[in-house]
Amino acid sequence: MKTKKWFTLVLSVIMLSALLAACGGNNKTNNANSGNNGTTGNTANETETGSTAEPAELAGELVIWTFFDQVNDMAAQFSAKHPGVKIDVKMFPGDQYQTKLMSALQSGKDVPDIFDLERGYIGKFMDSKFLADLSAMGGDELVKDYIPYVQELGRASDDTLRAVSDHSSPGGFWYLKENAKKYLGTDDPEEISLMVDSWDKVIEVGTKVEAESGGKVHLIANAGDLFDIESYNTAPWVNDGKLNIDTKWQEVFETQKKIRTSNVDAKLPFMSAGWGNALNDGSVVLTSMPAWAGFMIDNKDGKAEGKYGVARTPEGFYVGGTYRGIYEKSDKKELAYEFIKFIAGEEWQQHNLEKTGNMPGNGKVYETNLDRFKSTIFGDQNILKPYYETVKQIPANKADKYGEEILSKWRKAAGDGITNNKSFEDVAADFKKDVKNTFPEIDVE
Amino acid sequence: MNAKLNKSHYGYLFIAPFFISFGIFGLIPILYTLYLSFMKWDGFSDPVYVGFANYSRLLHDSFFYQTIGNTLIIWIMSIIPQLVLALVLALILNEKFIRGKHFFRAIYFFPHIVTPVTLAVLFFLMFDWQTGTVNKILMSIGMVEDPINWFNSPMWSRIIVATVICWQYFGFNMIVFIAGLQSVPNEVFEAAEVDGATKWQTITRITLPMLRPVFLFTFITSVIGGLQLFDSALMLGDGPGNTTRTMVMYLYQTAFKTFDYSYGAAVAYGIFIVVMIFTAFTARLTMKKE
Repeated sequence: MKTKKWFTLVLSVIMLSALLAACGGNNKTNNANSGNNGTTGNTANETETGSTAEPAELAGELVIWTFFDQVNDMAAQFSAKHPGVKIDVKMFPGDQYQTKLMSALQSGKDVPDIFDLERGYIGKFMDSKFLADLSAMGGDELVKDYIPYVQELGRASDDTLRAVSDHSSPGGFWYLKENAKKYLGTDDPEEISLMVDSWDKVIEVGTKVEAESGGKVHLIANAGDLFDIESYNTAPWVNDGKLNIDTKWQEVFETQKKIRTSNVDAKLPFMSAGWGNALNDGSVVLTSMPAWAGFMIDNKDGKAEGKYGVARTPEGFYVGGTYRGIYEKSDKKELAYEFIKFIAGEEWQQHNLEKTGNMPGNGKVYETNLDRFKSTIFGDQNILKPYYETVKQIPANKADKYGEEILSKWRKAAGDGITNNKSFEDVAADFKKDVKNTFPEIDVE
Repeated sequence: MNAKLNKSHYGYLFIAPFFISFGIFGLIPILYTLYLSFMKWDGFSDPVYVGFANYSRLLHDSFFYQTIGNTLIIWIMSIIPQLVLALVLALILNEKFIRGKHFFRAIYFFPHIVTPVTLAVLFFLMFDWQTGTVNKILMSIGMVEDPINWFNSPMWSRIIVATVICWQYFGFNMIVFIAGLQSVPNEVFEAAEVDGATKWQTITRITLPMLRPVFLFTFITSVIGGLQLFDSALMLGDGPGNTTRTMVMYLYQTAFKTFDYSYGAAVAYGIFIVVMIFTAFTARLTMKKE
């Protein structure tokens, strides 16, 4: 009887401890320090780096959080230059990164020294207490040669620099040269750029292409491409707490409807399966693409080499962008700043351009490569030229906390309007209702 | 014999693991959500107490009411064919003379082990209006001339979401029905046979009435499951005019896309109340009939 009792007692204790161990399994460091949470960890870190963060011979450890795997190369390049620095890149792919980052920042535990922010939500972080002021550390000097829009997106509303990107993400019309020759009569990027330098011309040329191909080939992929192109060529959506629909949007909407009704577009949504096919098989002549999307081209065994060209869109545009900021409460800010300095510099951006084809953020890197840089799929074309000409002109606007989400609401309402041929008034009414509902604090007239 | 109840306190140790894990992963988040629903918090600044502001916003939120309607419509569109299909297949596969019934039971159960996200992506590709197989087939057999833009029509979008769910769960319900059928004593059927009852009479007078408890079980579980419809619907998108946005999708979008945690918490409690009302309603319906 007694043994039985002992047995049950021991068993229950084992079960309980196993359960508790499982609960805390996620966070070994915190468990090890339990009772004295956080502080022990921090002091250990301080002794490791604290005094050694001298630019001459850097040493220490940095933790970077990102959703982007190319940060690994960044860290490797930085460590190769500064062997004393160990960089721990924690990658969280997928769209749960933002949630993960926010809960870490909010709790203040297990927080990175540097973290990445995507264009889509950077505006929400800009004025938060989490990003260190880079201007105070001399950051303005780092971005003085930058493409205007790229550096401005990293600024808070008080104009201080909070985050820096190592690239720009300009877009252009990509085309299969053979296809362009057949339907546009030329494959020269400059001639094509001039042929489609306004939306009216796009519609005119597009109607011809549609007629000549018997409806099988379309000039552009989707009337919705205009959202990407116009999103940052229009006034910000919120002005002094009031919703502001730039009058240009009405023009754009009417153009989009015209594109749709005259069959200029193939009605393929961006990044959908059909869209990817069209880019490779040529059923769309000009596809508006961000410079970073080269992976969408099927270049198996080099079959796409030299086949493509890139021309300017009627207005310059960019899609996305990854920014990097320093955590305000990090105790390794100096070391982290060295890393930011490195990615903002010409050396890294040159390496990155050559390795991945990602366009630089630094204007100087553009200029050195204008007549030099070639990409295999674009053959002899100096592809930096069309990008540089348009990217310089993109208005430098700050990212606010509403912009991207309101833009996606506009896409939804206006996209529905284009498909179902609604009037601008109806679209605007649907849009306003949606904005008012999600952001009751915005004044919607 | 054993009049004295053994009140050994070791029992508590045995039930402790459940209550501890429920406390950490269930109760604390539930209470924290309640706390958040009285705050204003976007994850950046510190939460500020706002009283019932989130709830009064919820009461006037026409988008939330629309999601309740959407959820109910999609649920009804999926539950009726689902239960009918499950029941008919269960009755057929329970017949003695059917060959290979184990094989078919397994086959019909397969969709249930595929994750809802995979199923939804599969349907999304099949019903893509330009490149999807469904339009290609319809056009090649000449049923339609131009491709149908399925996801531009509220009705079709809802039917597709409902079909995904129906296809996923009919096999599970079928197995539950078969289990129910097998628990009906054989003597009853033999007696009916002796009395000269037809097959149809046996089904309507004996099988179905004796299946009632099983039927109610599947009904109640699908009320609760159906109202929490989320993953497959999320993969198929909001639909035209938000017509396939379900309650839980709205909660997810509010809390984790817009990062309005506090209003998201209020939406969560709103959903809780809606689910409670429908569960109570179903339970009441059940008790009356008992």
